[in-house]
Amino acid sequence: MRKIFPAEELARDARFIRQTNEQRLSDPRGTRVAGGNASEQLAKLTPGLANGPDRARALMHGIFVGEIQALEGAGRTCWDFEVGEDVPFELKLDMARQCWDEARHCEISVSLADHMGTELGEFAENGLLYEAACNPDPVLRLTGVNRALEGLAIDVFNTMKEFGNLAGDPVLEFCEDWMLADEVTHVKMGSDWLRRLTENDKERLEKALEFQKVVDRLFSFNGFRGEDDDSPIQLTRRFRELAGFSDDEIDEIADMSREARAEAPS
Amino acid sequence: MTDTKRPREPFAPWDRRSLPGLFDVEETAERIGHYKWVEMKLFEALGGWVATVPELDVKLRLGTHCYHHAWHADLFDKRLPELREMKTERLTVPANDQLVAFFEAMTEPEDATMTIEKLVGVYRVLIPHKIAAYTYHRNATSEITDMPTVRILDFILQDEFNDWREGEMLIQSMIETEAEVERAMNHQLKLEKLMLAAGGIAGPGSIGDPYVEMPEEN
Repeated sequence: MRKIFPAEELARDARFIRQTNEQRLSDPRGTRVAGGNASEQLAKLTPGLANGPDRARALMHGIFVGEIQALEGAGRTCWDFEVGEDVPFELKLDMARQCWDEARHCEISVSLADHMGTELGEFAENGLLYEAACNPDPVLRLTGVNRALEGLAIDVFNTMKEFGNLAGDPVLEFCEDWMLADEVTHVKMGSDWLRRLTENDKERLEKALEFQKVVDRLFSFNGFRGEDDDSPIQLTRRFRELAGFSDDEIDEIADMSREARAEAPS
Repeated sequence: MTDTKRPREPFAPWDRRSLPGLFDVEETAERIGHYKWVEMKLFEALGGWVATVPELDVKLRLGTHCYHHAWHADLFDKRLPELREMKTERLTVPANDQLVAFFEAMTEPEDATMTIEKLVGVYRVLIPHKIAAYTYHRNATSEITDMPTVRILDFILQDEFNDWREGEMLIQSMIETEAEVERAMNHQLKLEKLMLAAGGIAGPGSIGDPYVEMPEEN
């Protein structure tokens, strides 16, 4: 088995359809789900929106395929690097633990998707998350995946938990809260390893934080995730603090989203 | 009232634990170092394969089992300093070159069409050999002097039995034709020969020697 497994070869059964981000954004079916115009697409996700339930179903499917890729990414970090030469033994143990957590998240999210009336493969998959998990530097990989993407997962799960509360769906609320607890742990792993592995390497630390910004920017399209009351996905300060983010770092993500939102077509 | 002066034996009648065990401290540390190396190689491979298997149920089980074996490696790693080995990486080594060859062959399949081979290597060859070696160690060491190792092996064996059963059921569910039976058996045969050359996961003597020494006849 090779080291570094390419994103385009991720093994899937016939139900999964892969799209690039460009294809996904120009797909008219996506616009129908997200809402007719830019303001509808950027409205806060609530059950009261006319397209709220469909957006929530699409998001849950996105969570499921994201969890598969997170599982694959953590698994590859177990395989791609050598203990001692590249990474400490304990880092690999953390990644194996994350494999188990992500496998459970797949089981939870596919069950919730079914609970919400969604069929597997009803929405397309894009491989962005796993692509971040292909970085050949383990520090950059963990920073991009565990801090940027798992950080986004904190925001998404908290939003879905609130959606479940507002919709009177205790199953959705219960499950999202459990996944949220795991995600805070994964982000904290990323924060801890970033600090430990770059303690005496400022240049590598800066590179890793820059890579995290690139990934964060990719997922801040049109200000999709932000701190404003009407942001579709709410940036979750409290849980990010628990996971090792400083106030300045959270402010920076909020500013990035605000800028992206201001630049979004109206 | 209980008579507090009435003597009792230190070992209850049903407690048949005995001294000594078959392994001294050094041999125990060496074996545990080999076990840790095997658990590491296994969890790394299971993690790496997740991305390569298209079957969703298999993908999720590999992710789950990956952590089980990482946890085993961690348990063995924590036991080593208690056996006077402070640099645990010094003993985290394969038993011999033949075992390295076994792992290279076991982890070779990558293609998405080779899930049967991946599962056979782990669940029909490696894990049965692990269960055998761990059971031998568990039963042959002293439950008094080396109880911490016995306790670790008991937890690990529980995982191994559960994982072996799940893996075997996945294999049975994937084999639907005679050609697939042959694929599974051929791969098992190839790997069993390599494991035979290695003498087991801890090298020759992994499960002891059942034969009786007989004086040569003139």
